[in-house]
Amino acid sequence: MRLVYALILMAGLAAVVADHLASPSSARAVSPEDFAGACALRRAVPVGAEEITLSSS
Amino acid sequence: MTTTTLSTSPALPRLDWPFLIAAVLGTAALVALVTLDGHPASAALVVLGFALGVAFLKAEFSFTAAWRRFLTKGEAGGLLAVLLLIAVAALVIVPVAALVPGFGGAIAPIGPSLVIGAFVFGVGMQLANGCGSGTLYTAGGGSGRMLIALALFIVGSVIGSLHLPVFLALGGVDPILASAYFGPWGGLAVTLASIAAVALVVALIAQVRNATFKPRPLIVIGAIVIGALSIGVFLAGHHPWSVTFGFTVWGAKLAALAGFDFSGAAFWQWPGPKRALAESTLSDTSSLTNLGMILGAMAAAAATKPFAHTPWPPARSLIAAAIGGLLMGWGARIGFGCNIGAFVGGVASGSLHGWVWFAAALGGCAIGIRLRPLFGLSRE
Repeated sequence: MRLVYALILMAGLAAVVADHLASPSSARAVSPEDFAGACALRRAVPVGAEEITLSSS
Repeated sequence: MTTTTLSTSPALPRLDWPFLIAAVLGTAALVALVTLDGHPASAALVVLGFALGVAFLKAEFSFTAAWRRFLTKGEAGGLLAVLLLIAVAALVIVPVAALVPGFGGAIAPIGPSLVIGAFVFGVGMQLANGCGSGTLYTAGGGSGRMLIALALFIVGSVIGSLHLPVFLALGGVDPILASAYFGPWGGLAVTLASIAAVALVVALIAQVRNATFKPRPLIVIGAIVIGALSIGVFLAGHHPWSVTFGFTVWGAKLAALAGFDFSGAAFWQWPGPKRALAESTLSDTSSLTNLGMILGAMAAAAATKPFAHTPWPPARSLIAAAIGGLLMGWGARIGFGCNIGAFVGGVASGSLHGWVWFAAALGGCAIGIRLRPLFGLSRE
């Protein structure tokens, strides 16, 4: 199991680094709004705020 | 003549240097990458994820076991600790999300998608023996079984991303947010009152079933620490801590690398997912904390004992982990998250969907517990 872990750890970190170097990273990290497109009209407007954007984990 | 008494001191923890160093260096590398890009908040998320991994592993904080003990024996200590964690997080999340521009809560519509997704997630978490955060810290901590659950979690979440638009089309009720009705502070009061009410019901059920409802001290400390760290994640990421979207992004990136075309998938044309797929993995807040959490759990495990030295479990147990991971991945995407993103994040944001998710997932857990013996797993 240790060997499997060592291989996955190395491959995983290499993949993240390669992806980071090859992909744009234009702005501050944000939480993706993974269903905002489908629920664009479903908005809750709390007291004291203009708008809350739908988002999820 | 003198006599000398020989005493044996407690055995010192055996450090597993290769994995400890690898975990620390891996974390440092991620922090360096995002810092060099000028994103200190991203670096903070990696470090907070690392701390969460350590905290979860050291406190042995488990949503899955807590829910199972409550359902099978009526023991409520673990579940009450989870509610304490949420209350701690809510103290900051509800008012800041409502008052400070740029911050947002975890909110979602209430409908078939939420209920079905949470129910399926509940079944999966009992088969896998871990939820989203549980899978992360146990896989990071050296459980090969949970590595398999994680891999299938990722696969399931990508499949779920393709199905989500269909389930959303089934309809539902707009998000119901406490601060939208009662203001930031009234919303906080209502949120805390709802947590207290659920805690009371849970404790009463334990009492009726002659079971304990006092959480172990270590779990209470864990709940407070994890709650405080989740506040840190919220302040750094401007959004409540989330886990499973990172899995979806990882899976989609791997699938795209293998030639899968997501241009026809509605989910991946929405602004958030589209950007997440196009940009670096380290541009997604959930990926940052996920990676930190895996490495933190690995460091904590390697600091106390030989890492991943246990043999592989029986095949039936591995199959349960695989099925459970797949169900959790699919359910998390359809149901807007896992215990962390939907339940903890939702309730701590004052969003009613968090409680609905909890009820539906608890129902799924009841089914999952009944299925566990099929795979050689105990119901308790």
